[in-house]
Amino acid sequence: MGTIGRLFKNNVRQYGMVIALCFILALFQVLTRGIMFKPMNITNLVLQNSYILILAIGMLLCVVTGNIDLSVGSVAAFVGAVSAVMMVDWGMPVFLAVALSLVIGAVVGSFHGFFIAFARMPAIIVTLAGMLIFRGLTMVILKGQTKAPFEKSFQVMAAGYLPWTELRADGLNVIALAAGLAVSAILAIAILRSRRTKARHRFEMIPLWLDLLRILLIVAAINFLAYEFASFDGLPIILVILTALILLYTFITRRTIAGRHVYALGGNEKAARLSGVKTERVMFWVYVNMGILSALAGLIVAGRLNAATPKAGTGFELDAIAACFIGGASAAGGIGTVIGTIVGGFVMAVLNNGMSILGVSVDWQQSIKGLVLLLAVWFDVYTKTRPRSR
Amino acid sequence: MNRRGKALALSLAAFRLLFSALLCAQETIGVAMPTQSTQRWIQDGANMKRLLEERGYGVDLQYAEDDINAQVTQIENMITKGDSVLVIASIDGESLTDVLEKAHAAGVPVIAYDRLIRNSPYVSYYATFDNFKVGVLQGGYIVRKLDLENKPGPFNIELFGGSPDDNNAGFFFRGAMSRLEPYLKSGKLVVRSKQVDFATIAILRWDGTVAQKRMDDILSSAYTDARIDAVLSPYDGISIGILSSLKSAGYGTVKKPLPIVTGQDAELPSVKSILVGEQTQTVFKDTRILARRAADMVDSLLSGKPALINDTKTYDNGRKIVPSYLCDPVNVDIANYKAVLLDSGYYTEAQLGR
Repeated sequence: MGTIGRLFKNNVRQYGMVIALCFILALFQVLTRGIMFKPMNITNLVLQNSYILILAIGMLLCVVTGNIDLSVGSVAAFVGAVSAVMMVDWGMPVFLAVALSLVIGAVVGSFHGFFIAFARMPAIIVTLAGMLIFRGLTMVILKGQTKAPFEKSFQVMAAGYLPWTELRADGLNVIALAAGLAVSAILAIAILRSRRTKARHRFEMIPLWLDLLRILLIVAAINFLAYEFASFDGLPIILVILTALILLYTFITRRTIAGRHVYALGGNEKAARLSGVKTERVMFWVYVNMGILSALAGLIVAGRLNAATPKAGTGFELDAIAACFIGGASAAGGIGTVIGTIVGGFVMAVLNNGMSILGVSVDWQQSIKGLVLLLAVWFDVYTKTRPRSR
Repeated sequence: MNRRGKALALSLAAFRLLFSALLCAQETIGVAMPTQSTQRWIQDGANMKRLLEERGYGVDLQYAEDDINAQVTQIENMITKGDSVLVIASIDGESLTDVLEKAHAAGVPVIAYDRLIRNSPYVSYYATFDNFKVGVLQGGYIVRKLDLENKPGPFNIELFGGSPDDNNAGFFFRGAMSRLEPYLKSGKLVVRSKQVDFATIAILRWDGTVAQKRMDDILSSAYTDARIDAVLSPYDGISIGILSSLKSAGYGTVKKPLPIVTGQDAELPSVKSILVGEQTQTVFKDTRILARRAADMVDSLLSGKPALINDTKTYDNGRKIVPSYLCDPVNVDIANYKAVLLDSGYYTEAQLGR
């Protein structure tokens, strides 16, 4: 066993979910008789779940502080409604309306953040209030009706593809293929460079062949996906936005002072404060950030439906929270990664998509997703509490 | 692209070919329904499935539990699966424009079922009931029962409307008013509450308790020294609420009989109410006929023949006038309930508690 065994044991949670995701994908590929990996379906998978994943990234930060945010679905609907009034009723230019909507999201977030961080109210109560307030305001703004349709240029953000879709070789979109190669090159270099750094600081290292295998698998997976997108309509714009957010937030949570402060706060608030972390301010900005991401998700939902509806976004908060916990975040705070959350989100997404293709109705889908959440967290608790053999 | 990628691509292509061959054995029809929480949609879904299967199609029936995003996702997945035609009863007629564009891009025609899909040029046909005529039947029934042609009047009437966010509610009201308006103008019919505007008489979400409250308010404000002779109600659930209000105000005795109360959908509680002499009338819409018409439209879309339609000018969805088949609604009261509801097999004697 030695190094590899220990390595596996320490990361069983993270690898476990990746393996589970692969297993679920393979299972549905067989059950749906090959529809799962159709290029059109892979594209749908991203379009259908983008907003949940965006919310989950913001939610992860809340979860790391040891809290949750119940208001995100209502805030998304609220911002969608406001954006519809601005664009459909007032004819405001798309760019301006999107910018204003994100500002409104930030204001809503700071509203929550104020009460949680400075007034020291429990987050669950403040965001429960927010959930009711903003759902009500959504209905007030829309008067119970649906507002549609949006301009084409607004829909593009949620449902469009990068331009140059016609730039094709062998029927495959060149942009998508190039993007796949570029991303895999960057990741491969990043892994090798972190090896070099570790070597310099004499950290314990996993064998070279294992790292090469990792690179091989990642490169294969990314290029496979790129190939899928290339043989359909090219790269969805929302995928580009999502990738950018994932990279940005991975960087923030791992490399920046602000990001590490969030973990310090979640791990032990008192210790963090005594070490000079301005815990109130950190908490406040976590919720401002959540507000902005909720607004972005709301715009994407509105763009995707090409309509703002009073019932939009119901239950999103629960999907986002579930993605965090399936992805290995801890309810006690201080633990969780962006990548893990995205994997967790995709586990839910693939379950949704696969069951929908099989014709499983929404009621059963909910029950099954609930069970998956329960099992994932149980697995987490089990692997943590089991005494480790040394 | 590197060599490994190419090999992967090739094996994938072969894989896909194999499976698409397997899948194309039978034409599958995607049927998207709003919710399983209402009896009516369960019947609609079951009817569609049975009819389409009888005609040799595979059926992919899905309910979205009134969740708009879930319905969009289901429709996208139906397109991915390669369903040949989509039959959609929308949850929200405004929110399917984008997904219908995808259906069009994939060459999948769409039939709107019962509820019109708005703002999309890609709706091939619309199968529904003649909603204007539903109102005409309700208004006409009141005119006939009060014998407005011959009696001098005046008679007191109150008006109720459906949910303002439902495209169909306006049709019901305009249909009824087409019959009542002449008598309202001549003064033979009087609305003592003076509430005649659709926005004021509309009942949000077709909620019976809201209707009951509105009737209470009207009775206590406008009918303390007068009797009401008729109530126009657009839907059975609303009628039941109105009747409860009337009964608690002392109507339903020999000296003070219940007014004429209309309704729609022939729901079981209302049919029972008609049998005991409370609700007067309802409008029956046989969803089995609607399902048959929709199945006919599927047939004709796949065979390339024009479908049976009977209306090409009423239903403008904002982008095109959708060719429609309007099924006939039927008047039901105590005189003909046997022939219409029992003999057709829609309800059994046992269900009516007889």
